[in-house]
Amino acid sequence: MSDTKPAEEAKPEPVVVDRFCTLTYSDRLSPQTVRFAEELVAGRILGQKCPVCGRVYIPGKGYCPMDVVKMDASTEVFVADEGTVTGFTIITPVRYYGQTKTEPFIYASVLLDGASSVLGGQEITGIANDEVRIGLRVKATWKPEAERTTEGHSPRGWGSVEGSIDGFEWTGGPDADRSTYEEYVI
Amino acid sequence: MPLNDIAIVGWAQTPGVRRTDTTETQMCLDAVLRAVAMAGIDRREIGFTCSGSCDYLTGGPFAFVQNLEAAGAWPPISESHVEMDGAWALYEAWVRLHTGDIDIALVYGSGKSSPSDPSLLYPQQLDPYFLEPLGLDPVSLAGLQARALLDSGKATERDFAEVVSRNRRNAKDNPNAQLTRDDTVEELLAKGYYCEPLRAHDLPPITDGAAALVLATGEKARQLTKNPVYIRGIDHRIEAHQPGFRDLTTSVSTKLAAEKAGLGAGPVQVAELYAPFSPQEVILRQSLGLDDSVSINPSGGALASNPMMAAGLVRIIEAASRVADGTAKRALAHATNGQALQHNLVCILEGDN
Repeated sequence: MSDTKPAEEAKPEPVVVDRFCTLTYSDRLSPQTVRFAEELVAGRILGQKCPVCGRVYIPGKGYCPMDVVKMDASTEVFVADEGTVTGFTIITPVRYYGQTKTEPFIYASVLLDGASSVLGGQEITGIANDEVRIGLRVKATWKPEAERTTEGHSPRGWGSVEGSIDGFEWTGGPDADRSTYEEYVI
Repeated sequence: MPLNDIAIVGWAQTPGVRRTDTTETQMCLDAVLRAVAMAGIDRREIGFTCSGSCDYLTGGPFAFVQNLEAAGAWPPISESHVEMDGAWALYEAWVRLHTGDIDIALVYGSGKSSPSDPSLLYPQQLDPYFLEPLGLDPVSLAGLQARALLDSGKATERDFAEVVSRNRRNAKDNPNAQLTRDDTVEELLAKGYYCEPLRAHDLPPITDGAAALVLATGEKARQLTKNPVYIRGIDHRIEAHQPGFRDLTTSVSTKLAAEKAGLGAGPVQVAELYAPFSPQEVILRQSLGLDDSVSINPSGGALASNPMMAAGLVRIIEAASRVADGTAKRALAHATNGQALQHNLVCILEGDN
């Protein structure tokens, strides 16, 4: 041991290494999602109706999560392209990678007539943002048939309508009766 | 609750396939429905549910939550999940049953390997500084392990071929097997290397699959079935995460888990070992001290069907079915997790007779 204090050494700069990872997944659409996508491109909204409880899932899952029974093509039912807003958020876009919006917009959940599950993340048009409310009656704004695609569908439970439906427009009619949608308001 | 009075009363597995079109939840649902039906219970009698799966494999954060729909989560249920093979979900359920306030538990494990590339995915389970950047995948790790085993003199390439030949031949009697073959040891040894010293047949198939199992405590189990398969002992042990920190030619964690599970208390007639790569079966057999009198992997093992996150649970199901049908009085089931046999679970199963 030296009795003299060593001269203080300069601390080395920490080495920072970026280590990026890319994982690619290539999944197939499940049979019920394929059927949903096919019908959507044709302008129809397809669901599956549980033979036990009667709930209609949009899109079908191939089973009813409430009754735990399998559901196949024999349970298919169509629902309307009109429905009721059950919840919404007004989003003011901030700039981030991939953001294409510049003006505040509505992100709403829509309960289609005849369905027992809501479509999330729908734009609402034909009404000022600050007038959008739960209970509002809306109708799908379909893309022209030639422009519809199966883009956005996923086998992972968040089946989307964005390839065929731009959003939902206020019908101008009276609001829905609260009893028709209150079970779906979060 | 006596430690050794919990029994397996129902089970099911989906047939192993290279690629399924159905969702992972649908695979789970198929296995759960059949296991619950075999147990002869209503799902509302289940006091605790535990599942095993891997979000990296599924390709979505919290993907296991969707799988819960297979168990029926309404009315609300008590459940848990392990980011591990379903065999460890069984371990958690076994622990939970010992609290004594419930008498039935459901366990399931599932994995869809088809959407991803295992050689890119699995390096993510290694340390991010040294091994993951190398892209060290399971085949390379198994190759290193096999090389170490050969160099140690504990096994030969012929031993590896013997494992492959026997497992894939056994698989011919297993309706759930994905890969069945009738190759002789000589035919296998004549083939070229895939990743020296491994040949392609030393690797498991890539499999989509799920399995489910129902546990019940003593009296309840005996009410439900004439053939309860008791878990006489179960234990799991883990070794260092860094493969370079341990001797890859032996499995001290398997040996210790087997001791704690009570393997030494009597002979087993059947052992189902989760050895996805053929040299690993040799390591496990030697670590467990299993001699030629023990039937190893009558199902064909993971070389015949390797549904990730379910294959360990499937070993327990296969061993349990051998006890239930009287083929074995006492059987051993083994499961592994992590890389190159890092983490191992052993359970000892017996019937009433």
